[in-house]
Amino acid sequence: MTASPVTDLPTVDWVDPAELRSDPYPIYRRLRAEAPVAWVPSVRKLLITSFSGCLYGEQHPEIFSSRVSNAHMIRAIGGRPMIRKDDPEHAAERSTVNPTLRPKAMKERWNAVFEANARAAVDALEERGPETADLNSDYARPLASQNLIDLLGLRDVDVETFARWSADFIAGSGNVLEDDEIWARCDRSRAEANAALDSLLPYLRRVPDDSMSSLLLQAGLPEESVRANIFLTISGGVNEPQHMVTNMVLLLSQHPDQAPDVESDGWGAVFDEAVRMYTPIAMVTRETVADSVVDGVGVPSGAQVGLILASANRDEAVFDEPDSFRVGRSDHRHLGFGSGAHMCAGKWAAESSIGRIAVPELYRRLPGLRVDEARPVTWDGFAFRGMTSLPVTW
Amino acid sequence: MPTVHYVQPDGSETVLEVPEHESVMRAAIVAGVPGIVAECGGQAMCATCHVYVRDGDALELPEMGEDEDEMLDCTASERTARSRLSCQLKNLDGIELTVEVPERQL
Repeated sequence: MTASPVTDLPTVDWVDPAELRSDPYPIYRRLRAEAPVAWVPSVRKLLITSFSGCLYGEQHPEIFSSRVSNAHMIRAIGGRPMIRKDDPEHAAERSTVNPTLRPKAMKERWNAVFEANARAAVDALEERGPETADLNSDYARPLASQNLIDLLGLRDVDVETFARWSADFIAGSGNVLEDDEIWARCDRSRAEANAALDSLLPYLRRVPDDSMSSLLLQAGLPEESVRANIFLTISGGVNEPQHMVTNMVLLLSQHPDQAPDVESDGWGAVFDEAVRMYTPIAMVTRETVADSVVDGVGVPSGAQVGLILASANRDEAVFDEPDSFRVGRSDHRHLGFGSGAHMCAGKWAAESSIGRIAVPELYRRLPGLRVDEARPVTWDGFAFRGMTSLPVTW
Repeated sequence: MPTVHYVQPDGSETVLEVPEHESVMRAAIVAGVPGIVAECGGQAMCATCHVYVRDGDALELPEMGEDEDEMLDCTASERTARSRLSCQLKNLDGIELTVEVPERQL
């Protein structure tokens, strides 16, 4: 057998960061075709856009480390959360929250909470009315916030404040341009969130429950780690389920023939295909700690790498007509939740709370729900991407 | 070092020597054995490294934990008395083990 030739890492100079935020998919398509493993100076990262390359990165944490240098996330939330650690350090923290995030805990503990929250949120949306309702701000955001407030066991914080903390932490985590205004609001939100934990954590030490915060405490982690992981959860746990509400409704509005009956169990498949189509966590960051070869291209040690999961999920090498929304496609798995030790901890919670509860509840109560063509749909984000407005009517 | 035979639904077989501390799942991922997806990387948060163990009763396998038992209720291919999550099969101390890879993991 002859060894496959290893090609040098190409540099791609045509990627415009503004375009990545406004319309990334044509860029990903071109990168996959021309340079699926490439150094992209405009985003200061080595971007991997093929399915095979992203999977390789995810499956080889001994090369693609999560201990990324100069991580803005650590500056944003004031500590190093588990997502920026490797096993076994990461596993020691991650394993503490897993028990309350498995499917059984959803069924026995959380689904009733998610259902009550969804019913209350539809009430509020209905009150808003079919002329002005925005599914993002009037349903998806407050609902995703309330669900996460409950999962974390927080008390005495309103959904809008909580959603602002999340948005500010995310903005700080992505503040590669070191914008002072972003750091200022990130710091203010962190101070508010820390104040909330100052009263919550002593309470949970006395009266433990099955919330994520309580489980982190019960495991005996240092309080700094407990806080960092709660803030990580606040950062990552609002935007993504929020975006999945709007993604599903937009796609079903465009493809009404693929909407399952509200009482059927076909909603998991709709959720899954919507995650593939509009992957809310478009990129995960890693740092190489050894030389490797990815898709035949030499990747040096010490490189900051962006695995573009949103691109992997549209890779024509593994998906048939990847830009088509096809509920129940069985040609290939997608990488929307990542793959490996850092697979999204909230995967089951999101599938349940959004896919199987929040979205079907909308159609149960408002059977005529659809996108309001008279008002504009807006999108934003590169690493984290979703709709900022989805006007709906019914 | 345990020897593991991975048998595909079509009967084809891969044989690997698995380092003591490594799981049957991880060895399959590193070697690219088809049909072992292992989405969660070995923390019993998914059921995509499901295998059927052949003649498991005669072997000293790690006992099934509560988490593994729970996740085995979520397999894409039918759970049987021989079902295990291959990420939980490790420290096998020199035995020879045959696992059948199911038709589907998703």
